[in-house]
Amino acid sequence: MDKKYCAYICAGCGIGDALDLEALAGVVTGEMSMECKTHECLCGVAGRAFIEADIKEGVNTVVVGACSPRVMTNEFNFGEGKITVRANLREQVVWAEVKPAEGEEPHAEAAEFLAETAADYMRMACSRAKKTELPAPFKLEVINKTILVMGGGLAGLTAAKESAAAGYDVILVEKEDQLGGKALGWRKSFPTKAPWTDLEENPIQALIAEVEANPKITIKTGIEVARITGAPGDFGVSFKAANSKTEWDAPAKVTVDEQDLINKGEKEDPNAGLKKYTSINPDATKVGSVVLATGWKPADVSQFEHLGHGVLPNVVTNAEFEKLSKAGKVPAKVAFVQSPGGKDNDKDFPYCNSVTSMVALKQAQYVCEDNADGQAFILYQHMRTPGSMELFYKNVQTNDGIFLTKGSVTKVEENGGGLRVAVEDTLLGEDITIDVDMVVLAAGMEPMTLHEKSINLAYRQGPGFNDLDLFDGYADSHFICFPYETRRTGVYACGGVRKAETMEEAVDDATGAALKAIQCIESSDRGVSVHPRSGDSTYPEFFMQRCTQCKRCTEECPFGALDDDEKGTPLPNPTRCRRCGTCMGACPERIIGFKDYNIDLIGSMIKSVEVPEDDEDRLRIIVFVCENDAYPAIDMAGMKRLGLNHMVRFIPVRCLGSVNMAWIRDALSAGMDGAMLLGCTYGDDYQCHFVKGSEIANKRMENIGDTLSTLGLEPERCAANQIAITDYDKIPHIINDFVEEIVEMGPNPFKGF
Amino acid sequence: MNVQPDLDFIRTLKEAGGDTLKKCYQCATCSVMCPLSKDGKPFPRKEMIWAGWGMKDKLVTDPDVFLCHHCGDCTANCPRGAKPGDVLSAIRSYAYTFYGWPQPLAKLASSAKGLPMMIGIPVVVIFFMWLISGGMHIPNKEFFAEHGYQQFFGHWDFKWYAKNIFFIVAFMVPSLGLGLFSGIMGISKMWKAMSEQADMNPQYRPSVGQFVTDFIWPSLVEIIKHSRFNECGTHLNRVRGHLPLMLAFIGLFIVTCWSLLKNDVLGLIWPSLHGPLPLTDPFKLLANVSAIALIFGIAVLWSNRKKMETEMSAQATFYDWFLIWEITAVGVTGIAAELLRWAGMPVLGYIVYFLHLVSVMMLFLYLPYTKLAHLLYRTTAYTFEKYRESIFAQNK
Repeated sequence: MDKKYCAYICAGCGIGDALDLEALAGVVTGEMSMECKTHECLCGVAGRAFIEADIKEGVNTVVVGACSPRVMTNEFNFGEGKITVRANLREQVVWAEVKPAEGEEPHAEAAEFLAETAADYMRMACSRAKKTELPAPFKLEVINKTILVMGGGLAGLTAAKESAAAGYDVILVEKEDQLGGKALGWRKSFPTKAPWTDLEENPIQALIAEVEANPKITIKTGIEVARITGAPGDFGVSFKAANSKTEWDAPAKVTVDEQDLINKGEKEDPNAGLKKYTSINPDATKVGSVVLATGWKPADVSQFEHLGHGVLPNVVTNAEFEKLSKAGKVPAKVAFVQSPGGKDNDKDFPYCNSVTSMVALKQAQYVCEDNADGQAFILYQHMRTPGSMELFYKNVQTNDGIFLTKGSVTKVEENGGGLRVAVEDTLLGEDITIDVDMVVLAAGMEPMTLHEKSINLAYRQGPGFNDLDLFDGYADSHFICFPYETRRTGVYACGGVRKAETMEEAVDDATGAALKAIQCIESSDRGVSVHPRSGDSTYPEFFMQRCTQCKRCTEECPFGALDDDEKGTPLPNPTRCRRCGTCMGACPERIIGFKDYNIDLIGSMIKSVEVPEDDEDRLRIIVFVCENDAYPAIDMAGMKRLGLNHMVRFIPVRCLGSVNMAWIRDALSAGMDGAMLLGCTYGDDYQCHFVKGSEIANKRMENIGDTLSTLGLEPERCAANQIAITDYDKIPHIINDFVEEIVEMGPNPFKGF
Repeated sequence: MNVQPDLDFIRTLKEAGGDTLKKCYQCATCSVMCPLSKDGKPFPRKEMIWAGWGMKDKLVTDPDVFLCHHCGDCTANCPRGAKPGDVLSAIRSYAYTFYGWPQPLAKLASSAKGLPMMIGIPVVVIFFMWLISGGMHIPNKEFFAEHGYQQFFGHWDFKWYAKNIFFIVAFMVPSLGLGLFSGIMGISKMWKAMSEQADMNPQYRPSVGQFVTDFIWPSLVEIIKHSRFNECGTHLNRVRGHLPLMLAFIGLFIVTCWSLLKNDVLGLIWPSLHGPLPLTDPFKLLANVSAIALIFGIAVLWSNRKKMETEMSAQATFYDWFLIWEITAVGVTGIAAELLRWAGMPVLGYIVYFLHLVSVMMLFLYLPYTKLAHLLYRTTAYTFEKYRESIFAQNK
């Protein structure tokens, strides 16, 4: 595309009052050789018409020096084929100016400082505009829109039903010989409607009948998934008989070192007899996306010896009790133990969530239904009944034969023909013992992913989900921000494998996961990214001739989007990609980039910042800011006029993971005095939108410190910080403290070289 | 403690006004709101879970149940819609029956089903007395004007003991005696059970004199001053009813004692003392003022109870209403009998007087089983509370 540029500077929102716009426009026309116009209100109807008039004349690349790129996105969107680059003069320049404290004189050169900052932001925007190209979306040659649902329990059945209702073909795979899963064993289910008091008929049989009768759903029972290859829109699924072994089973991940040992014959090949992960099965069934509903396992509670499960007769788990209650009458005196920790620990059984509280309330009702003078004791540390289920709890309480108390269950032992439960710290004001016929332990629901790979992907990063230990075995992308998503694009989890939940929640969950699966197929069809960069039509492009097969991109991709060939050359799967750019940050050869975001583009922006020499008041510090949370936080700091040091220049990045260390070197060798990464929290309560980006960037920064010392630069000139979107009040502290440290260290000794 | 919930006990409480007892989820808002609850042993939270768990033995030996004055602050503030005030009231009602002796009579007085029998017994007894007294006649106006109801059971010439008095004493004294005897049995049983529950040493006791001066007397002073009642928030208006009512009973007690002294002791020496008192007599004045206070007090309590039932949807219970009706009956028949005497209407007067005797006998006879028993049990609980905190209970 032949680009015709024009830059516009807005005088509104105080920008015109604080800056000499003529001088600023002069910088653009002079240094950047780009036509530049000013207007009193660019985002207004007149302002937009002002720009559109030029577009009619042939301008197709517009630089807007005005407010943050996070606001007025529609106003400055000039349609397909046009490029708009925004310079954040309002939030990060004019509004971010440090105001003198009361009674203090402003710095003599304050106006100059502000003008220099604004000029740098315009320079960066102009450089960016020059380097940006129009994206062309990646399109699969053939797209398959079938949805594979793994697991035929309540969640899987619901996901299949909902996907079919939305018009998609579904393949439903169930390991067992019949559909229904765990729900087949449940006697009653929780209320689903007002007044939220009465137990309802188990809906599973009706749902099975409905799914079986649906012509859009293909049901495979007694079958499991051997492996899944490919990418969203083009997955290839190899099926096999349940519990059998085939050559198409998903191969385990083998690291480079392990492969060496295997080659030397010092280690057994775990994948002996299996096809390589890159092999294509000609008999594979094509699907577009996958709903993972492989369910849960009742947790083993025999580890809590004082409760006697597996040793004492009539100590059962809640799941076992439910089956008993479905088969026939339950005993007349039953104790429900909700927390196993005795006096030392008030936690409920692991993996219980709020489900076990409600199950106990339900099962206590069975005791009173089946026996005229039935007595059920619920011994809890926590009673968890979210939402309308509080009404269910209230109703169960009114049952004469149901007795509830908080307390620590310290012992269950035999007593004559029955059992005696000892409870301490009760609400009754003293330690008590209760004689019962049966004790029910509130065992939790362990996700299948805790016990097996479940998904069986033939990916370079292995067949399962990564970092499962971070979330106790749950296949999680981000439970709160990105529900149903896993760390594998196109695979959406619901039901017991996602969360310990009730049947009602599983139904909601399955519907949500089905919609995510549909969204993924349709995004792939349009060649755009899924959440969180939904609609982004760029994708990473590789200049393979210069690839050294270092495997960093294939290793570091948080979503396992890259496979590789025998030699280690990456095989990109653009529909698996979430466009975070972590591969671009990883590549030492700098051969990975997007049309509007690449090494050269950001490098040019860095280089366009003017670095004055020998002036202690004019140091230059570059800050790479994650545009998901940190960038909006800086904008908010600006809106609140919190004041940010004038020597700092912010550059937004897609994710800290995409920051290539080459940029840091560029900045320091250009004479800049410091560099900082500002991104999301990582670790077990991470907020990184791409899960691992922030963490990877921090590791890279540790290494660059060593490089700097060998160059004779203080490693402290580089820093990495984490911030949450809500912590805008901490921004000045982080930025200004870092600037002070750099000022103390003095200017970069390489300045001017 | 080995817990054995008593399901029947729960059902009984639910019927007796404690229908909401199972709604409690132990947040303790009630104990915080209660103006009478003390820091060390707050109520009614613990009573609510004991009730919910059917722990009868805990509750009938718990003095806090009787220290509750049913202010309604707990009920008004319960976030769960439970009515701890009503539950405690139901527990008290249960306790009176539980401690009552003889049990058949206590059970009879515990529900509306027993009401015909409860009325029937005094009606039959008094009517039988009237039959055998031979006084079975309706006097003419002149006789009525002169003697009033003083020869209801006839007259004999044995001047040392009037026939009328003989017959009244014949059924009133055994009734009151039974009531008091049974009540004292009940409170001493309760005291013993409470002491055991509180784990107090029964060997270490104050002298009777010290017991009265240190424990009973201060309790009585508190009760008469309505100190605790006055702290109530939601139902504070009940003090306006209860105080005149209580003073009326004291007044009428004094008048009755004087009347006994005047007729049966002094009357022997000065026969002119027999006969109805003139209106100007200070005792007659006290009697009439008391009667009016009684009617006023019971009217206030009646309307409060009605209001509570509509506004806070308190359950209407036989336990509460029996006492209100009973006292109303005593007051109304008493005043009506007096008015009819002045009006010179012997036939109606005698009928109303008969009913007055019936209602008074009921008051005495069912004293320890109905809500009126609170004057024994609550006084005992006040005393016990003071005793529990004293050196006698502490020293083991």
